[in-house]
Amino acid sequence: MHFAFLLLNYSCFCQVANNAEIISNIAEDMAAEDSDPEAAAIYLEYLNELSENPVKINQADENDLSRLFFLSDFQVRSLADYIKRSGSIVSIFEIAAIPGFDQHAAEMMLPFISLKENVTGLSDTLSVRSTLITNLIFKPGDNDTSSLGSPLKILSKYRISAGRFSAGFTTEKDAGEKFLTGSPPLPEFFSAYTSYSGKGLIKRAILGDFSLRFGAGTCINTAMRTGIQLTAPGFMTVRDNLRPYTSTDENNFFRGAAADLAIKKTELIVFYSRNRIDATPEINSDSTILFVSSIYKTGLHNTPSLLLKKDLLTETVYGMSLSYNFRFMRIGASWSETCLSIPLHINADDPESIYAFEGAGNRLFSVNYNTLAGRILFYGEMSLNNFCNSTLVNGITLRPSDRLTINVLWRKYSPGFTALNGKGPGNSSSSSGEQGITGNFSFEAAKHLFISAGCDVTHYPWLKYRCSFPSMSRKDGITLRYLPSEKLSFEFSYDYRYSMINDQNTSGVAGIKRSESHTFKWLFRYSPEKNSSFATRISYKTVYPVRSSGMLLLQDIYYRFDSFPVTLWFRYCLFSTDSWDSRLYTYENDILYSFSIPALSGEGSRSYLMAKLDIAHFGEIRIKYGFTGINKINGIESFNDELKLQFRVWF
Amino acid sequence: MKHLFSLHKIIVSLFFVFLSSSAIRSNPFTIHAGAGERGTGLACIMRSGFWSSFSNQSLLANNRTFSAGVNYENRFGIPELGTCTAAVIYPAGKSSIGIICSHFGYPEFRRNMGGISCGMSLNGNISAGVQVDYFSENLPGEYDNIRILTFEAGAVFDLSEKVTAAIHLFNPVPNSIRRSTVPSTLTAGAGIDLSKTLFAGAEAEMSTKEKLIIRTGFEYEAAKKFWVRGGFSTENSSFSVGLGYLLKSLKIDLGFSTHDRLGVTSSVSLIYKIR
Repeated sequence: MHFAFLLLNYSCFCQVANNAEIISNIAEDMAAEDSDPEAAAIYLEYLNELSENPVKINQADENDLSRLFFLSDFQVRSLADYIKRSGSIVSIFEIAAIPGFDQHAAEMMLPFISLKENVTGLSDTLSVRSTLITNLIFKPGDNDTSSLGSPLKILSKYRISAGRFSAGFTTEKDAGEKFLTGSPPLPEFFSAYTSYSGKGLIKRAILGDFSLRFGAGTCINTAMRTGIQLTAPGFMTVRDNLRPYTSTDENNFFRGAAADLAIKKTELIVFYSRNRIDATPEINSDSTILFVSSIYKTGLHNTPSLLLKKDLLTETVYGMSLSYNFRFMRIGASWSETCLSIPLHINADDPESIYAFEGAGNRLFSVNYNTLAGRILFYGEMSLNNFCNSTLVNGITLRPSDRLTINVLWRKYSPGFTALNGKGPGNSSSSSGEQGITGNFSFEAAKHLFISAGCDVTHYPWLKYRCSFPSMSRKDGITLRYLPSEKLSFEFSYDYRYSMINDQNTSGVAGIKRSESHTFKWLFRYSPEKNSSFATRISYKTVYPVRSSGMLLLQDIYYRFDSFPVTLWFRYCLFSTDSWDSRLYTYENDILYSFSIPALSGEGSRSYLMAKLDIAHFGEIRIKYGFTGINKINGIESFNDELKLQFRVWF
Repeated sequence: MKHLFSLHKIIVSLFFVFLSSSAIRSNPFTIHAGAGERGTGLACIMRSGFWSSFSNQSLLANNRTFSAGVNYENRFGIPELGTCTAAVIYPAGKSSIGIICSHFGYPEFRRNMGGISCGMSLNGNISAGVQVDYFSENLPGEYDNIRILTFEAGAVFDLSEKVTAAIHLFNPVPNSIRRSTVPSTLTAGAGIDLSKTLFAGAEAEMSTKEKLIIRTGFEYEAAKKFWVRGGFSTENSSFSVGLGYLLKSLKIDLGFSTHDRLGVTSSVSLIYKIR
């Protein structure tokens, strides 16, 4: 056990400097999912927020601990029980020894938790703390003159907290957008909130922008969505979650008021939101808007036509969730109502869209449960909309021994089930018309060897994008992690993807074409000292039937100077892929609240250098310069570079 | 006779074309010198030796003797595809300095290279090295001659008493900032002393516009001062063998490697330990 603690110590340090491989892998998987390109950004924003405002686990209840969203309900309960029974955790090494945890989970937690205790026993209401972050991102070679505004991307976040109260705002301007728009002129995106967190009747109250999740999220989930993760079991959970909104997704949040109330074992969340979101209008000959044909989700408004879509639709959402905690079971029920100011009509001529939502109102009901029986955790949710389309999600987490965790998740979404602000567990962006089963396990196979693997099979009984027939998809994945010493880690992973798409070469009715990919990844990390780390990675991907292959070799170096407060990150990566089909994704360390997981395609190199300068105890400056060179057929290299600056102060 | 000479040039040119159209090949600017290295399939990024200036300059830190050497490599039995290299290693303080030069080709097409390198130990387990390279390429006819200055750097890690890992980066400079294109190369590898007499290593190398190459090799001290080597590289499915013998202060190495279509490359090197 002592050795395990030592081992953890070093590994933990390594992933503070460079996010744990598990996190990087998930982010890359999410970025590779074409159906939900924003998911990776939100996921990394959540991690950034957690690292800025870590969970004080010794003072936290189950609700606070559930901010560690990558933990399963089983783990959250186990951790809460352990703290309640054994007292405060004095060392992070204890966590790996808690039932339900292993080294992987402890590693992931470390940057996002604090072991500090309120030793005085006094409330910290007098302590006012503010944090301001400003990011400036500039692409020197980007000379798009058609854009409305400057090529500079600007992000500012401010947060002030005083005891149980907190408030903050977020502003963002994407590249090419005007900084001030509308009348009166306001920042292109502006979001603000005030929040109160309590221990009594009012657990949390928010005025302003907030994100919300009920249960498994099939009805309401504007918080994080992680899709189906094969080798990270912790993401399967059923849990209510109300939190201030501080992200930059311009269309996936609520604006209004929400409260989380608790009386003994009963908990009630009520909310009301009236938010303006982007949509694509269909305009009549007399310039009146007939209806909207789609909801525009990218949040980019850098051309006049895209600016027309901005804030076109007013979405009013209200609802509530009531839950009761029995001794071994939690049962909840929720209701929500969505009203759109302009009806949504998707092109009904397209057979793919026959089941798509149409109209101006959507009502949803759901019930969910969550029960722990010995070493087995059962959870599930059933949802129904006003058109009697339903969703059923059920899962089991089984922990037959401390070294083995098994998860099974089954879900069935009716083709007509639509939750405009929901995202339950599933592969596609809306999950509508999807049924599938996922199984995975994580296993400590030997003293230093960890194995996790999973398989997901999904059926789509109706047509979907680029697939004009009922289809299925399959994902398999296995990750082996070997930690022979406290300074070394080896990781090997294999991923298999199978899907069915239209065969465009067939005339008339589209034929069926299978698409398969095999991705292999080897990673070696060496951390000779506390202040340095070296990682080498090789990735290889093949795609059938196009017979395209891609590979990359990259080297990461991390170094923190002892004599002065500067930290450096450097990456050099060479890649070669036959086509876009065999593109490879690589997670990069970045400035806070910015993320970079470039899809590397073609033949070329990708490099970056990032430096962080700590300024006493009140601020830091980060600067990142990255460039990508792609070799063209004529031998000329195209060169794209990017400069990112971040100023962060806290006082 | 004149016709024969022209025919010879055509054949050599065809070889150049064929070489450049091979499915997988390494960066032509990363020169591999040393018959010992050739014998181990060029899997030498982690193995300290006299010719480390050409593979990984950080390995110079382990080479603390003043020595000089020459190497001649002949590709496929064609003199015009020969490479002559020479190097000197001089220990200076806590570091070792390497000076190298290389000549490839024939009067109409030749590539000369010179470099100066430095390798030093950073602590007990890590060594790092860097080298400044100057390339001069002379092409026939209307093609522009090329003069390029670049650099390369590497690091080696002693993971344990027996296991060594290394990384090396050649020309990490965007080609868009200069007129001529030089491919970049990233190499990473590891080796292990399986016994006192047997060493085995493997490395992965990738160059701009090329696929990944995997190399493996071993060196076995079959008798005192006598080494046998072997290796395999996925670059043209090449197998390698080699021999080495130490005669007082003079080390003689021979190395041979195959090409799946073009034949055999042979290499001989002499290294003299001055003090």
